[in-house]
Amino acid sequence: MVRGLTYQYRPGGPFILKNINFQAARGEIVVVAGLSGCGKSTLCFCLCGAIRHNRDGVLAGEVLINGKNVRELRAAGLALEVGMVFQDPDTQLFSPTVEDEIAFAPENLCLPPDRIRERVEHVLELLGIAALREANPYRLSGGEKHLVALASVLALDPPVLLLDEVMSGLDGAGRKKVAAVLERLRGAGKTIIAVEHDLEAVDFADRLMVMEKGALLRYDRAETLLADRDFMGEKLWHS
Amino acid sequence: MAFLELNRVSFAYPKRGRSALTEIDLALGRDEITAIVGPNGSGKTTLTKLMIGVLQPSGGQILLDGRPLAGYSLGEIGRRVGYVFQNPDLQLFCGTVAEEIGFGLTNRGYKPEMVEERVQFYLDYFELGSYRHVFPLHLSRGEKQRLAIAAVLANEPLFLILDEPTTGLDAYRKKLLADYLQKIARLGRGMILVSHDEPFVGRMAERVVTLKDGRIQSDSGRKGNTAHES
Amino acid sequence: MNLDPRTKMVMVVCLSGLALLYNTPGQLLLVFAVTVALLMIFHFELGVIRDYLKPFLSLMLFLLVIQCVFSPGGKVLVAAGPVPLITAGGLSTGVSAVLRIMTVAAAAMLFTTFSSRDFILGLVQWKVPYELAFMVSIALRFLPVFRDELGNVVTAVQLRGVELKKVPWREKMALYRRLFFPVVYGTMLKARQLAVSMEARGFRVYPRRTYLRRLNLLGADIAVMLVCLVSTIMLIALHFT
Repeated sequence: MVRGLTYQYRPGGPFILKNINFQAARGEIVVVAGLSGCGKSTLCFCLCGAIRHNRDGVLAGEVLINGKNVRELRAAGLALEVGMVFQDPDTQLFSPTVEDEIAFAPENLCLPPDRIRERVEHVLELLGIAALREANPYRLSGGEKHLVALASVLALDPPVLLLDEVMSGLDGAGRKKVAAVLERLRGAGKTIIAVEHDLEAVDFADRLMVMEKGALLRYDRAETLLADRDFMGEKLWHS
Repeated sequence: MAFLELNRVSFAYPKRGRSALTEIDLALGRDEITAIVGPNGSGKTTLTKLMIGVLQPSGGQILLDGRPLAGYSLGEIGRRVGYVFQNPDLQLFCGTVAEEIGFGLTNRGYKPEMVEERVQFYLDYFELGSYRHVFPLHLSRGEKQRLAIAAVLANEPLFLILDEPTTGLDAYRKKLLADYLQKIARLGRGMILVSHDEPFVGRMAERVVTLKDGRIQSDSGRKGNTAHES
Repeated sequence: MNLDPRTKMVMVVCLSGLALLYNTPGQLLLVFAVTVALLMIFHFELGVIRDYLKPFLSLMLFLLVIQCVFSPGGKVLVAAGPVPLITAGGLSTGVSAVLRIMTVAAAAMLFTTFSSRDFILGLVQWKVPYELAFMVSIALRFLPVFRDELGNVVTAVQLRGVELKKVPWREKMALYRRLFFPVVYGTMLKARQLAVSMEARGFRVYPRRTYLRRLNLLGADIAVMLVCLVSTIMLIALHFT
């Protein structure tokens, strides 16, 4: 649940996020859409705590995840609640093999080795990348890197998942894979918030949020908004 | 005559053992828009890097404008062929957006007023005007993408290669890009689009080359020729 | 022979230590020879070693000349009039410096025989705080990233139509200077994004971490480490008596 969230890059500067309010329940997939530069990614950073803890700027308002205020949770303690996959896989992958990369998160959480092994195997299979187990992430193709980045966050098994433009980096087959995974996660009660440009790739979404210049324009059930072709046309496609 | 010709080109990454590309035969002209499609890892980006001279083929030969590619320096290739990388971060290196767009022209000795005119045009067309003095790496992914494309286009190359140009672009900007590319194609600049984006490809490309596992699976052929499958 | 990375680290430290200790070309040549022999035992071919040391060649030549000219001593071999250019002492110092660098660089090749994961595991199992181990490992991992960044920028600049070879020196320097800042800043931004991503995955939530794998010191490891340490200590003692 997000209440009255506002954000400025620096005090007195332009508001990057203006009074965002919304709620997302367990087992829901929310897609955030809007033109480039409208603040979608910034919103995600606020939700996962990256902005509160790692960047400067003035943040006001509250973000509550599972009833807990994000600001009161310790920096990386948020990792247990929220997992975020960033837009550029190259700046997220650093381990010598894919397996190590996926093991990174559960290792941080101090899980015993056999549980770590379980999680790694589970995620490798879930995304169908078991064949890449020993590969060096740096040398994979663009789409494969995106899958590995997603895998490394799924290993956290967080109740809330934030995805920044994950579909854009994938081809048709990759998108199908990820779509299937997201639907499975939804069934397991996870909350997924995905920022996407290509709304067709996430047509299984429950709710849709449209942003413009930092403000939340509309937040509604996906079918309702998509059916409103005038609004969508004007706000997203300028047609 | 073909502007860019690949004859039996093969390539294998030295550390990876297996072949990334095998026996590629392709002839592309300045009068067509070609799309290269195929699943992840089929060798699309590798193929374009060979075309631009960043990688050297392990077998076969590439000809640019009739001369072997190996005989050109990267700078000479850059003046003829504009390449937009998949990841915009790899090709933005100036201190401000305006500088980035004007870089190629300034270095070719164009007068500052002319450069300014062109820079202004591209800033306006790609709606980056408000970012004129911003450091390029501070922009969002989509904005960086537009900037990279603008910077390459500003150079007015004879031929363009765009690797996944629509990643990070919203529907509206994709349309803008498609319009612009079609406009310059009509002015006689051939281009290659590597893309997963089927609607974009469908709208833009007259010729579609499909790659799979490093080989050409199908090529819908040059204008006027019948398509062939290999 | 699969040795624990920690054993290899001990070997590198011993060899580098001896290289820094000794001063004469004779002794240093021996240390260098031992290093190369060791590398060959680890399946490094002479050709590979030579290719690895090649980029250092210009630096080494430069060093040789500087040392020769600026630390004269002993018999004068070549003189330009009254000024001694190459002396026996200078030559000896120069050759020593070169051998020293080659030994340390070659010894470092041992680091390429194991992954950064094992490097971190090794250090952590020896009670080094994991933050430190990661810091070193990622710094090492970022070196090729930085080199790639530079390479990318050089390629990108050329692809924008700039003929680097034809640009006169002064302009080229000005160009590099202008590009330096965005490249460094760009790398720093990437480093920061990596940090955010690591924290988002729980890095440093707890003061300890568990690990998927463990390293085990076998009998061979202990034996080799003991041999290295004992012989190094003996050699150091001998040197000072």
